[in-house]
Amino acid sequence: MSSGNKHYWKALEEKEGGPEFLKDAARDLVERGPRHFGRRDFLKAAGFTVGTAFATGCRRAPLQKAIPLLSQPEEIVPGRCLFYASTCGGCSAGCGLLAKVRDGRPIKLEGNPEHPFSNGGLCATGQASILGLYDSQRLQHPLKQGNKISRDAADREILARLASIRSQHGAVRFLTGTITSPSVLAALEEVLKSLPDARHVVYDPVSNSALLDAYAQTHGTRLLPRFHFESAGVIASFDADFLGTWISPVEYTAAYRAGRNLEERRVSYHVQFEPRMSVTGTKADQRFAVAPGDFGVLLTHLTGLVAKRAGISLNWAEPDASPVPMSFLEGLAEQLWHARGRSLVLCGSQAIEEQVLANYLNHLLGSYGTTIDLERPSLQMQGNDQDLESLVRELHAGKVHALFVYGVNPAFDLPGGDELRGVLSRVPLLVSFSQRMDETAFLAGYVLPEPHFLESWNDTEAVNGVASISQPTVHPFGETRSLLETLSAWNGKSKSGYELLRESWRARVFPRQKKESNFDAFWDRSVHDGYTEVEAAVFKTKPFDLRAVQPILRSSAALDKFALVLYPTVSMLDGRNAYNPWLHELPDPISKVTWDNYASLSPAAAKKLGVNNGDVIHLDASRTGLRTLELPAYIQPGQHDRVVGVALGYGSKLSARFAKVGPQWIDALLSVGDNGLVGQNVASYLELKNGVLHYSSTQVTLSRTGKQRELACTQIHNTLTVPEHLRPGGSGARPIVQETTLAAFLKDPQSGVEDDEEKEDLWPTDHPYTGPRWGMVIDLNACTGCSSCVIACQIENNIPVVGRDEVRRNREMHWMRIDRYYSESDHGQVDVAHQPLMCQQCENAPCETVCPVLATVHSEDGLNQQVYNRCVGTRYCANNCPYKGRRFNWFNYSHDDQLQNLVLNPDVTVRSRGVMEKCTFCVQRIQEAKIEAKRRGEKVVDGAAQTACQQSCPAHAIYFGDLNDPSSRVSKMMQNPRRYRVLEELNVRPAVGYLTVVRNRDQESKEEQHG
Amino acid sequence: MADAVLTLRPPLIEGDKSIAQVTHDVCAPMEARPSRLWWLALAASSSLLLLGVLAIGYQVAVGVGTWGLNRTIGWAFDITNFVFWIGIGHAGTLISAILFLFRQRWRTSVNRAAEAMTIFAVMCAGIFPIIHTGRPWFAYWLFPYPNTRGSLWVNFRSPLVWDCFAISTYFTVSAMFWFIGLLPDLATIRDRATAKWRRTLAGILSLGWNGSYRAWQRYEVVYLMLAGLGTPLVISVHTIVSWDFATSVLPGWHATLFPPYFVAGAIFSGMAMVLTLMIIARKLMRLEDYITLRHIDRMAKLVILTSCIVGLSYATEFFIALYSGSSYEQFVFLNRALGPMFWAYWTMVSCNLLIPQLLWFRRIRAYVPAVFVISIFVNIGMWFERFVIIVTSLSRDFLPSNWFHYAPTRIEIATLLGSFGLFFTLFLLFCRFVPVIAVAEVKGVLKYGRPHAEAIHE
Repeated sequence: MSSGNKHYWKALEEKEGGPEFLKDAARDLVERGPRHFGRRDFLKAAGFTVGTAFATGCRRAPLQKAIPLLSQPEEIVPGRCLFYASTCGGCSAGCGLLAKVRDGRPIKLEGNPEHPFSNGGLCATGQASILGLYDSQRLQHPLKQGNKISRDAADREILARLASIRSQHGAVRFLTGTITSPSVLAALEEVLKSLPDARHVVYDPVSNSALLDAYAQTHGTRLLPRFHFESAGVIASFDADFLGTWISPVEYTAAYRAGRNLEERRVSYHVQFEPRMSVTGTKADQRFAVAPGDFGVLLTHLTGLVAKRAGISLNWAEPDASPVPMSFLEGLAEQLWHARGRSLVLCGSQAIEEQVLANYLNHLLGSYGTTIDLERPSLQMQGNDQDLESLVRELHAGKVHALFVYGVNPAFDLPGGDELRGVLSRVPLLVSFSQRMDETAFLAGYVLPEPHFLESWNDTEAVNGVASISQPTVHPFGETRSLLETLSAWNGKSKSGYELLRESWRARVFPRQKKESNFDAFWDRSVHDGYTEVEAAVFKTKPFDLRAVQPILRSSAALDKFALVLYPTVSMLDGRNAYNPWLHELPDPISKVTWDNYASLSPAAAKKLGVNNGDVIHLDASRTGLRTLELPAYIQPGQHDRVVGVALGYGSKLSARFAKVGPQWIDALLSVGDNGLVGQNVASYLELKNGVLHYSSTQVTLSRTGKQRELACTQIHNTLTVPEHLRPGGSGARPIVQETTLAAFLKDPQSGVEDDEEKEDLWPTDHPYTGPRWGMVIDLNACTGCSSCVIACQIENNIPVVGRDEVRRNREMHWMRIDRYYSESDHGQVDVAHQPLMCQQCENAPCETVCPVLATVHSEDGLNQQVYNRCVGTRYCANNCPYKGRRFNWFNYSHDDQLQNLVLNPDVTVRSRGVMEKCTFCVQRIQEAKIEAKRRGEKVVDGAAQTACQQSCPAHAIYFGDLNDPSSRVSKMMQNPRRYRVLEELNVRPAVGYLTVVRNRDQESKEEQHG
Repeated sequence: MADAVLTLRPPLIEGDKSIAQVTHDVCAPMEARPSRLWWLALAASSSLLLLGVLAIGYQVAVGVGTWGLNRTIGWAFDITNFVFWIGIGHAGTLISAILFLFRQRWRTSVNRAAEAMTIFAVMCAGIFPIIHTGRPWFAYWLFPYPNTRGSLWVNFRSPLVWDCFAISTYFTVSAMFWFIGLLPDLATIRDRATAKWRRTLAGILSLGWNGSYRAWQRYEVVYLMLAGLGTPLVISVHTIVSWDFATSVLPGWHATLFPPYFVAGAIFSGMAMVLTLMIIARKLMRLEDYITLRHIDRMAKLVILTSCIVGLSYATEFFIALYSGSSYEQFVFLNRALGPMFWAYWTMVSCNLLIPQLLWFRRIRAYVPAVFVISIFVNIGMWFERFVIIVTSLSRDFLPSNWFHYAPTRIEIATLLGSFGLFFTLFLLFCRFVPVIAVAEVKGVLKYGRPHAEAIHE
């Protein structure tokens, strides 16, 4: 083997160097496809005996030749990363991000810590969206009827068709999701103006249209306000999952977290009313399961109580009985009133009357202007279901001549099923801008794929007054063109996205600020920062219109049937992430189920029906024309007894690729269901009626089918107490998650902590830790279970995707997992605790003593190191780990997709089969920080080394740093009286501490709680 | 006076055999054509062996994922089989070495086969530590060999490294002991052989044995020394194997009781396997005069003794868990008896504790089919004991979020069957090609219990 001094080149073009090569290489990879049969495959296929098996195991990696760029571009140092500020395109919330670019391509996305509303956090969808860039199934060029067509030809033909439609005064409709880009909206406006009958119809597949409509009724303008959770002292949420999937969860999580600061004794009081368990519900101090049809009556009752305290007599008739005890509602009304000006009432319902009542409550409580900002509202959701409904009617009537679909997948998202798909396919000119061949693109006459947000120029104004830039971090891989460029080209301006954006900003954004007078300086600063704050556009609202407020007197809850509640999951959202294997494998924060959707039932309902987890049940809606649905059941504690919940976003065509995503061996099962897709599409159970998209209006009857579909669940035991008949005398909940109430905490900050005193060290000189000592503290009170850390860790550390069958066999590879435990508090309420768990980097690690080959050893700075190339895979370390933080490579997980391999982090080994792996506290980042500090001749600053999980957490629940530095945040957190360690009594001395969960409750004794 | 001493007990070998008859009884079947039954048995065990080879080949080529293990339960069938087979080996060494030191002359009828059983069992056992690793082609890294990587040593604190030493020592000593003991018998075969190949092969293997006084004297000394080396191995090897579990932190594993518990269990299962094999062999090879009912009786008594020790160990574990006050420890035992794998636990208890109690009754001990059936149950029970210890402790440990269940895959079951296939194939080959009974040693005890000692010669 030669030494590392020689440089080799892969191809002549590479020697000549330049970004062109990278572009060609990428295109080459994409066109060649993910696999080609090589020498190794022949050997595998040729059959084997034990002897051959040993021989093939002794293969060495083929020699590869590579060369650094001969003419090195400025600022590029091979092996060092550059960070570029951009804006996330994972959803319409528009969080700021930093793209970590290495060797000419992005390999990781981080939240931008300076961004005004995302505050450095990035959700699971945002983190995982980088994989969409390296997706070999993305469309690489425009298509006509499924065949390749040149861009110019496509433009010509479409413009010709538009011209003829224009002359015939035909109807042209642009159907898009929420577009927050002022430049795109302006370009679109121009196109629409040029056509006699053209409209822009916006809908959000997970719609909040009723909320906006309600503001139109109460305040005269259709808008989505900005909610300021950080200023809220009392939060009452009616089915609004603001920490999970509602509108802008990263923003809200950061703000919510700021409002619950135990160290400063400033803690909000949060009550959640919801039909099923949501992420937000797990954090609520009090949570009630309420059927969807009962929300109106509930809001009416609460409004009456608050109005009474406000001295207003409503003269309403008596509504139906409240689904929540009146005593509680009285207490809540008192709290809200007492905190008026700092109260916040949220409603996630799609019933306009309910939203109006919520608005009225906020009005009575003086929230407008304090916790709810109407003057600088959010632009993150602009969907208008009334427009959508009329468009659907037009489509059915065959009145639409041209339909352009961008950012949404109506053939998948909308109810109407095959009928709608038929109607869409009959539109004379159907153009899709989809990145992939989704259901709508499949029907489209022309597909003009748009690029990924990481390879194109774009802008966003998700929140009024904050204009963000989205800049490309890599050359586009295919012949894609952003919507901005397309629309401008059609308007006659064939310019690049960069030029168009600059023009647009010069005209529209630059004038709205007074700090810079030079546009180029302003532009450079905005691109550098990723955002800029400008004057908000003025939103004129009228005084509250009391006439809009109507009580809802009758409950419409099903008495004999089940209300079918359709909801978006944290991983799939509306189905846009169905191409992403990381997000399919991400365990749902509540159910911990992967690679499937299911019908969730409360334990009582399941018992009555006689079903267990995995029993397939039949859902029968009484509406005609609806296919019956068969889904595996999942028992969900805390769900309302007459509610069955099913996740949206599954059963997408984009998931067909995952049939054989995991390791293929003789007993392996497919990762898809009988329909060849992951999960089932339940969009047909939505209802678009009366100008609103309804998610919980369908009622179903349930029946058993006798079939089984074992769910791929990463956690099957859900409480900290052992089963009754196995419980040793006197033992209660295991003190793995320790919690207390606010009342008890205020009396004694150490309340709830069951900590053993540190035992005397038998080996005091073993680990002197003379230098830094890395440690971590996780605030369980801040953690919402959003699972962004899980995905961040997966991306940073090249953790493979194993597929459904392997997860079902309890072999998922996530180094970081979030355990979720249920417990029961007083009045039968189900409490949920999330506990992120990874290798605890124990000082007296039980794994280190038992590894026969010294593949796991202790570093001098406190890390438990895993030496991959020494590990023979006896798995004794994993058996001896009390936390089970270790993961074993059971197979060689496929890395055949060369394009997808570009996302791998070059600083982290990709492990082979038979090797143990685990969390390393992102040792590659620690090393980077240490090297950089050494280069500068300084000490490592607190915060220079950040683990991937810490960096991604929207709630900033993870603290990491040097425990030997008394001024570091993590040291201070370790001294926090709330801090405990898991399984302290084993004396393994973990380097990870946890802060107790403190629920804002009055009871002082923990005996009230039992699991 | 010699007569008076020798007639105090019944004869060790029945049937009034002369020395020549002993030689003939043991060696003649080897020189004749093998019976149909032997061929059938060999075909069956070879097909199991082939199944195992294919299963192991597939598993090594594709990955440990072809087994039913997961992130919670890292060991199941693999280590259960390993401990099971190693345990079985202990009876052979006990009979060969310990009973030799205790001057138990009845051992001479069974020690050859028992020691062969030990060697084969250790071979079967040795497969599993190698194939259970994720990268078996690097399994040799567990041995401290001189290398150019630093030098890179092994972790001497790890019980798996101790296992390497223990198992390799055990195999080496047992094989040497067995081979040395074989020398006079190989010489007998050489001297009786008519076929050239047999004469040459036996000649080489018998290392030039000439039956001289010096040869015998050296033979006796070496035999004694090897018995002395083998004796501590009976205790130490399975002690070290038990430390694979006892040195961990896992409730259910972390118990100081494990060394004596496991050693007793090993002798227990080994004795049962010896009984299983000997009962069949004596019938089919017509060796009832050599492996008499009294031999079976004595081995059965060892079985009942060790069964009681094992039962006491179960009770001790429960008591200590209760006494410890550790709820994790108490839970593990309640979970074993009443949790989802209760069926494995109760199989273990009934097969190991309840059924062997029948052997208290002399009539049952004298009824060979009953002893055979009981011995089979004992081995089933002992396999389940290791399975219960390993799998139930792992499946439900400290953090409830990690709790998971275990089910073997086809590959694992095939591998277990394959190990039986290997064992029985080797044993059948042993029966065919090697004297099943230690002819020279039996000749040495031929005169016990027989008043007319002169009639023995000729």
